Amino acid sequence: MMFALGPETVLQLILLVPGLGAILIGATNRFPNLRDALSLLIATALCALAVWLLLDHVAGGIARLQLTPIVQGLPILFVAEPIGLVFAVLASALWIVITAYSIGYMRKNNEPHQTRFYICFAIAMASTMGIALAGNLLTLFLFYEILTLSTYPLVVHHETDAARRAGRVYLGLLLSSSILFLLPAIIWTWFLAGTLDFTRGGILAGKIEGTQAAILFALFLFGAGKAALMPLHRWLPAAMIAPTPVSAFLHAVAVVKAGVFTILKVGVYIFGVGFLASVQASEWMLWVSAFSLIAASVIALGKDDLKARLAYSTIAQLAYVTMGVCLATVMGMVGGAMQLVTHALGKITLFMCAGAIYLATGKTRISDMRGLGRVMPFTFGAFLLGALSIIGIPPLGGAWSKWFLMMGASDAGHLAALGIWMLSSLLSLAYLIPLVARGFFLPLQEEEDRPQAQGREISVIRLARLREAPLWCVVPACITALLSVLVYFAGPAIAGFILPALGP
Amino acid sequence: MKHHIILRIGAKLLIPLIMLLALYVQFHGDYGPGGGFQAGVIFASAFILYGLVFGLGELRRVAPLPILMKLMAAGWLIYIGTGYLGLALGGMYLDYNILSSDPVAGQHLGIFLIELAVGITVASTMLAIYQCFNAHQSGEMTENE
Amino acid sequence: MILQHLAILQVMLPLLAAPLCVLSRSPLLAWGIAALAGLFALAGSFILFAQVLNAGVISYHIGNWAPPWGIEFRLDAANSFVLVVVSLVGAVCILYGRRSIEREIPEDDQPLFYTMLLLCFAGMLGVTSTGDAFNLFVFLEIFSLSSYVLVAMGAERDRRALTAAFTYLLLGTIGATFYVIGLGFVYALTGTLNMADMAVRITGMAGSGTLRVAFAFMIIGMGLKLAIFPMHLWLPNAYAFAPSIVTALLAGTATKVALYVLLRILFTIFSPAYPFESQTLQYLFLPLGLAGVFVASIVALFQQDVKRVLAWSSIAQSGYFLLGVSFASVGGLMASIVHLFNHAIMKSGLFLAVGCVVYRTGSCSIASFRGLGHKMPWTMAAFVIGGLSMIGIPATIGFTSKWYLILAALERGWWPVAIAIVAGSLLALFYFGRIIEAAYLQPSTDDSTITEAPLSMLAPMWMLTISCLALGIDSELTVSAARAAAEALFLDPHAGLPAHTGP
Repeated sequence: MMFALGPETVLQLILLVPGLGAILIGATNRFPNLRDALSLLIATALCALAVWLLLDHVAGGIARLQLTPIVQGLPILFVAEPIGLVFAVLASALWIVITAYSIGYMRKNNEPHQTRFYICFAIAMASTMGIALAGNLLTLFLFYEILTLSTYPLVVHHETDAARRAGRVYLGLLLSSSILFLLPAIIWTWFLAGTLDFTRGGILAGKIEGTQAAILFALFLFGAGKAALMPLHRWLPAAMIAPTPVSAFLHAVAVVKAGVFTILKVGVYIFGVGFLASVQASEWMLWVSAFSLIAASVIALGKDDLKARLAYSTIAQLAYVTMGVCLATVMGMVGGAMQLVTHALGKITLFMCAGAIYLATGKTRISDMRGLGRVMPFTFGAFLLGALSIIGIPPLGGAWSKWFLMMGASDAGHLAALGIWMLSSLLSLAYLIPLVARGFFLPLQEEEDRPQAQGREISVIRLARLREAPLWCVVPACITALLSVLVYFAGPAIAGFILPALGP
Repeated sequence: MKHHIILRIGAKLLIPLIMLLALYVQFHGDYGPGGGFQAGVIFASAFILYGLVFGLGELRRVAPLPILMKLMAAGWLIYIGTGYLGLALGGMYLDYNILSSDPVAGQHLGIFLIELAVGITVASTMLAIYQCFNAHQSGEMTENE
Repeated sequence: MILQHLAILQVMLPLLAAPLCVLSRSPLLAWGIAALAGLFALAGSFILFAQVLNAGVISYHIGNWAPPWGIEFRLDAANSFVLVVVSLVGAVCILYGRRSIEREIPEDDQPLFYTMLLLCFAGMLGVTSTGDAFNLFVFLEIFSLSSYVLVAMGAERDRRALTAAFTYLLLGTIGATFYVIGLGFVYALTGTLNMADMAVRITGMAGSGTLRVAFAFMIIGMGLKLAIFPMHLWLPNAYAFAPSIVTALLAGTATKVALYVLLRILFTIFSPAYPFESQTLQYLFLPLGLAGVFVASIVALFQQDVKRVLAWSSIAQSGYFLLGVSFASVGGLMASIVHLFNHAIMKSGLFLAVGCVVYRTGSCSIASFRGLGHKMPWTMAAFVIGGLSMIGIPATIGFTSKWYLILAALERGWWPVAIAIVAGSLLALFYFGRIIEAAYLQPSTDDSTITEAPLSMLAPMWMLTISCLALGIDSELTVSAARAAAEALFLDPHAGLPAHTGP
């Protein structure tokens, strides 16, 4: 039956399914079981559609959907292209996992407003799909803003004073940066090029040069505030006030990835790799993102709150993508796209583990998590895999993105970038691994506090009675951890899929 | 007011003359100085004199506010209606030529109706304003408050 | 026959309905009459607009006296578009008004209130339609005087409405007087009152001192009506204390009509070359517009009353109009006209939402908005959409406005102005953010009896809200109309003029 669908219909469905899903979820407000089952069903359907579109593209299909014009000559346009498809499949697949996780987390934690939560989640998902499949900058911008707005209720979910303050930072920074930088950049591009369509090889070649090109590029980079480039990163730690599924999915996958995805798209399809390299527009932004990378890593080292540490780690990891784009080489771009995928898988695992730890023990501070690995081996095992992937150790997905990025740096002759990345890998090792090590090798905090008999020996690794979080929370984390391993083997295939889009 | 016999007799003598003058100004307006606005004011001044001499209560009896309001609207309707009459007879809005077979007579008729409408509205409005302001002064509240 | 006379019926039918409202004793009947007149005007304006776009300028000679001797109603792409704006907002406000007026106006005064509402409406339609500069003044006074009364009728809710109305009356009258003084000078120079005829006769008089004085008087007069910074002082109080429906009507139409007259003066009576080349008006309008945007937006940030926030935001929006005009290009003018339409829709929608809140809570302070997000979901949803549109989020009409304004600034190469425009819209984010946060995230006040506003208020309000979204997603209609209007004003202001050979 699926094969009777045309690519255009599928494009429409991809946007409609989560949108209609939001309405259905709202309608089943009073039946939590039905509502949650429906959420899962919608997520699965969406993922199937995204995969269908991906396969169609591999088979040579060109999916394209044009709607009404927002301003004259600029319609809402959707086109399936490799980077976007990868992002769409990734986000929709992770949505299934995170929905399952949310069901476990929200129920165990007895969260209020669960229906609103799922509705906003579905709308955020619809806009993520819109971003992934946007055919021009304006469409991307449209869904970019909707994503910001639809995630705001999720950030302020608890409606406490702290949540309100965080919400203000979140909305203020994201909307301000997009209105103040991204919108002028888009209008400037439209003014220069007369089109905003994502085109292979870019649309700006010969239209702008020198300092102006550098300014325009910087506007795009800072304008995509979701990419959390310093000093516009404050919203990301602030958003950690939200329930963990939100942090896991939106602030490690959908929202931040929408930011770096925008930067990737601008680099590849608006400036074009060749043009970007020839006008040297991105040189100084490379240093800005390098600073962001190192500074965020150092801050992460000093954070004791697990979610905050992960948030700063996210900021650092996003800067990899930005740097990759700024290198203005084909390999750099591939590396950026790979980083988008592998970091998503790794970071979602870490966040889900953080949530599972909180659910099982109520602990949020790393210093309190001593010995927890003994009672939660699955959670900590998944955490270890996720962390290794983020650090970039084979055989985990993260190794590929680091590999391509470094190839890009050497293509560009940028040895400094290589050095920075090595340093940052070390730093990430330093801020991620201690948690696992303490979890497995130190005694449980409660046991430690108990007065112990002199001379009693504690075996170094000794599993205590299991006290894992609910299955709904642990299994998704393990799945994404295993996916991180799988991606290592699929790495070359993904790179090969993206590569043709980057040429002129 | 019982004692001010000179005022009472004087007013009774003057009021008809003022009204007559108002009518003259009204209907002579097409040919000479005058017209609905001036006529309306003069006509109203006759009533105002009556009110000054015999008191607001008496004035309210001869010219009740609800009636004045209806008259205001009526004058307004006559004006607009004349315009629509031109349309109904197949001309343009406020087209007087069409009102009669002879264009000159039509113009005459048209301006007569318009001035009449203005006269009615102005006279009743002046009276209403006088009554409202007077009521404020004497501490009464009118229904328009 | 109706089609042929539609240009005049458009104005005269509300004017006919007004005295009928006086005669009807029942508020419901008066509302029915007013609603019929409003709907007629709405339908008529759409037909006229389509006619003008298809067949060109419509000229209607009142009393069958040919211009320039007689009064002419002259509809081109510019004013027929404004006509649509005015009658759309007017009709929606009247439809919405019944319940709101029942709450805010004493029963005996309600028929008179509708009379004034219709007079105001008809006056604005007349200002927009007429091609005669003095007739314009007459309609301007009809609409102004009735709007003073309408503002004063807010005294039932708050006695401060009386002083607000008085200030409005003083400044509004000064504005109208300045206009008529300027007009007097032009009449002395040209001997004609027909705008098109005036335009022809003025050419070649650019050096005249009298003309310069006349020009200054007319611009300042209309500037007062448009509430250009720093001539905006009447506006915040008038909007804040007027009955809700009056605020919605005035915010959506009064300043828009004033802007239209300003454009007529600048581009039709004086050809574009005069104000912008010979008098370099853009260097006055540009700083005033920018100052208006920032000063008013910053003041809006500190208001405690939602109506006042919106009122100050309206002053800021007048700044945007002025910016668009100061670009002195078709693009800038088009941006101004697009914004004229869009702002009318979104600001009226916002004020109608506030009207719903006033209907239920009796107050419109930000504190009284607390917790309304859950108690009045439909009202607050409309408010949020309106607010997003004011900020300029894509897929709302506010985005279209901002897009074209920025584009016009870039076309002129004035990129600092473009930055100022986005910065201004950012301020809107903050002052709307405060209200919306209060509505959704702050615990509600103890009064738990508040429920959603009645359907008869919600439905008209949502008409505006939906058009706010629909026209934002597909802006083809408004943009092409605005482009036609801008071209009609800017490129060939005298096109299609009959060769008047007056005395």
